[in-house]
Amino acid sequence: MIEYLQFILAPQVVNGLSLGMAVVLMALGLTIIFGLLDVINMSHGEFYAAGAFASVSLLAIGVPFWLMLLLVPLILLPIGFLMEVALIQRVYHHKDRHILTLLLTFGVATVLEDVYKLIWGPNPIRPEAPIGGAIEFLGLILPNYRLFLMAFGGLLIVGVMWLIYKTSFGAIVRAAAFDRDMSASLGISVKRVYALTFSFGVAIAGLSGALLAPIYSAFPTMGKDFILLAFTVVIVGGLGSIKGAVIAGLLLTQVQAISSLYIPPVWTEPLVFTVMVLVLMFKPAGLFGGLKNG
Amino acid sequence: MKFAKSVLVASILGAVGLSAQAQQGPIKIGILSAFSGTYAGIGQQNRWAHEMAAREINAAGGILGRKIELVFEDEEANPAVATQKAEKLYQVDKVEFITGIVSSGSSLAVSQVAERNKKFASTSVSYADSITGDRCSPNFFRASARAYMQSAALASWLSKARPNASVFFSGPDYEMGRSSVAAIKAATTALGAKAVGEAFTPTGAQDYSTYFGQIRAAKPNVIYMAQSGNDAVRMLTQLNEFGLSKGVTFIGSAGAITGQNIGAAGKSAEGFVTGVGYSPELDNPENKKFVAAFRAAYKADPDVFGADAYGVLYLYKAAVEKAGSVDTDRVRTALKDLKWSTPQGVKTMRGGDHQAMQEMYAVQIQNGQFKVIGRVAPEDAVGPDMCTRF
Amino acid sequence: MVSAEKRAIRIVEISLLVASILLFIFAEITGDTFYSRLATEALIFGGLALSVDLLLGLVGLLSLGQAFYFGFGAYLSAVMLKQVAPSFWLTMLVVLVTSALLGWVTSYIALRSRGVYFALITFGLAQVAAKVVYNTRALGASDGMIGVPILQIDFLFFRLDSSDPGQFFLLVFAVIALMYGVLRYITHTPMGAIWHGIRSNENRLAYVGFKSKGPKQVAFVIAAVIAAVSGALYPMLRGFVSPELLFFSVSGNAVVTAVLGGVGSLVGPLLGSVLLTFFKSVIGTWTVHHHIIIGTAFVIVVIFAPRGILGALSKRLASGSDRKGE
Repeated sequence: MIEYLQFILAPQVVNGLSLGMAVVLMALGLTIIFGLLDVINMSHGEFYAAGAFASVSLLAIGVPFWLMLLLVPLILLPIGFLMEVALIQRVYHHKDRHILTLLLTFGVATVLEDVYKLIWGPNPIRPEAPIGGAIEFLGLILPNYRLFLMAFGGLLIVGVMWLIYKTSFGAIVRAAAFDRDMSASLGISVKRVYALTFSFGVAIAGLSGALLAPIYSAFPTMGKDFILLAFTVVIVGGLGSIKGAVIAGLLLTQVQAISSLYIPPVWTEPLVFTVMVLVLMFKPAGLFGGLKNG
Repeated sequence: MKFAKSVLVASILGAVGLSAQAQQGPIKIGILSAFSGTYAGIGQQNRWAHEMAAREINAAGGILGRKIELVFEDEEANPAVATQKAEKLYQVDKVEFITGIVSSGSSLAVSQVAERNKKFASTSVSYADSITGDRCSPNFFRASARAYMQSAALASWLSKARPNASVFFSGPDYEMGRSSVAAIKAATTALGAKAVGEAFTPTGAQDYSTYFGQIRAAKPNVIYMAQSGNDAVRMLTQLNEFGLSKGVTFIGSAGAITGQNIGAAGKSAEGFVTGVGYSPELDNPENKKFVAAFRAAYKADPDVFGADAYGVLYLYKAAVEKAGSVDTDRVRTALKDLKWSTPQGVKTMRGGDHQAMQEMYAVQIQNGQFKVIGRVAPEDAVGPDMCTRF
Repeated sequence: MVSAEKRAIRIVEISLLVASILLFIFAEITGDTFYSRLATEALIFGGLALSVDLLLGLVGLLSLGQAFYFGFGAYLSAVMLKQVAPSFWLTMLVVLVTSALLGWVTSYIALRSRGVYFALITFGLAQVAAKVVYNTRALGASDGMIGVPILQIDFLFFRLDSSDPGQFFLLVFAVIALMYGVLRYITHTPMGAIWHGIRSNENRLAYVGFKSKGPKQVAFVIAAVIAAVSGALYPMLRGFVSPELLFFSVSGNAVVTAVLGGVGSLVGPLLGSVLLTFFKSVIGTWTVHHHIIIGTAFVIVVIFAPRGILGALSKRLASGSDRKGE
């Protein structure tokens, strides 16, 4: 029994955690964008990929790893801003907004994937992790980089929550999500808030990509790796709910990790998908409602 | 109207094509390969190698006095696209012969198109056994090694280098992966190795640490991987990350570590042994010449895909010259048990199933280079003829 | 419907009809194989796009997983033809009935939600199905199944050969045209009006006293059948099926062609499919990066011309007739 806990179950939980951090970061951006802008960003995965590729190039020209982690989101902010203003805002006032933004971001995703192939080639590229080695703790092997990921990821998530719930910027964002017209009449430039929020959301996704590249590598189709899982997390947690994204993210990755012990791992993705369908069928608002509800 | 225009274009092309079929026109060969998508790296090697072979053959006077002209199309590693493009190549471009196909599914689908068009097709990449096995075709040839041969080379080396191996087998969780693992397991255990566990991983899985508990418990000293591309990179580097590579010999299928993913795999690929049909380090005059010319032309080393692609055009040349014409039936007869010279030595095109017989190698990654550490003779490697159609 | 739209649709319908007849004549005269088969393929995928448009354009539901039904029809057809009997009629009948059942059953999963949730559920359904097929050895697993036989299709007074490109093209045209005609007819019935109501404002429909659940289910099932029937024609054309037919790219592509052609016009997706198939075939020879071109065109259309080609055409006709009125 102890051996089971030690060699089989505990490692799965730990692995689920490191994957969970990454998925939560992706889902955070997605849920913020949806909660505020009411936009389903089908290109979110491509920004995750953009971050990974940016990290590859920056590291290749000699930028130190820690500086790179700072630069990648900074690079993605203006790109996200541009996309929101130039593309998404144009269809925003249309009657069929939901579908149009979905289609639009889908189109962008198609283009981006091909662009990555054009620039970086089709083969995988993998930057070396800045921290190597592993520690052994109670019989568990814990690679140092993964420990770093968990810690850094946790900090980031706390940071985002602090930003949204404890700063005036966050208050503006939440106000605009709650009541767009009222916020506008109070003098808030809703358009700018939307653009900033979108850029922020995709920047976090990009950072997630940069963080994961050393263990998962960068390649043009990587945008599709997590997209279904991220959407599931967002839906199960509640569209727009940050708390929901975090909890659902950690929970679902654990479900995936532990279930792979009992069912052939190929079926863990369909399992997660089934969870999403069930939630949609019986509790469509997800576990925690929306940004409006906190 | 789109159709009217295509009618006009097609008539013109048809007319031009007909006149090109006159005796002095070039022999057109279609290169249908993966030029986009995950396998684009293989497509690139194909393009380079075919172009180089065509240049050389044309400089030496062509085939039966006619120059070779290559027509390139992208199959996108998707059988639906491959069939469409194959038809275009046969019907509109009037090629005699299609090669370069990457995906096994595409190879099978194109073999049907080839039969319906009474022309040939070949692959120098796809290694599914079925292509020259239970789904063989009288118009389809494979000029490269198949999965069985890769296993044979690897198993032979393993039994000599690690006589008391306890092996953990892993492969991608789909048909190809499962049959690769089954084949290597049978081959190695027959030669004395012990199987201590196996795991099948979903294609595209990001995190392989799920299986590490299993692997640790099994305590193997050899781990076999049939994963390829990104999956292989991830699995290998993550095993390394977790310190599970210590004291373990890694072996794998030919697709596990290739020129396309060795960069990403980096240090973790050191010492990896695969059973494969080629290495640029092969020490024979034909290969030295080939590698030197390839490097000079493209500033890159050829890999197994490049070498096999190069060999295909020479195979076709030899067959057509022996037959004295490009007529399909005569060339097919000429191909039967034909021997021709390639960078891997002399290959024989077995008549019973259209599978090339060649020397196979156990190749190990040393300092990022593919070093040959074992060999198996063609007759021993090729395996039984499972084709019953002809 | 505005009369300019109706005229635009009529124009495109007639153009496609004439073009098809011309193609058939051309094929029979020159013995062409490639262009006829390419056009046939365009029509088959046009049928899939038609099913997308039924849901998106007529009812307002974006399905990102119609490839599920398309692939289902294709695989069922391949299995029927290879292992039961090389009979066109029997296969089509079986596909018709089972796909309706499948659509009905899956509607209970998919129709629980709307909008983006519906899109995600349909997306997920197709992904799961693709994975299942990819891993099932009995269905050929990742390599698919080859060896679908050539068919002799008996009508009362004549017989068609599926390997004759021109004849088979005509048959596929007839099938697609039939499905199109049925859909067109339904739009003029009360069911069609309810669909329109659902698309415009589903909540309001309830206030006026109409239930939306039943009609939505009907639409969903019909869309599944149309997709499956189109899919069933594929192995008859190409002689094989493979899991790629269920991948997201097939569903996504259908959406792209429907949007480019003109969502809601029903004939737009057919036109879009024809144009895109030929375009890809030509562009693919020149560059491998056709996704960038098509993706960009798609984004431009979504932003500047969301009603697609049909929309642009009817606008042109409308402004033209305005001038005439002066």
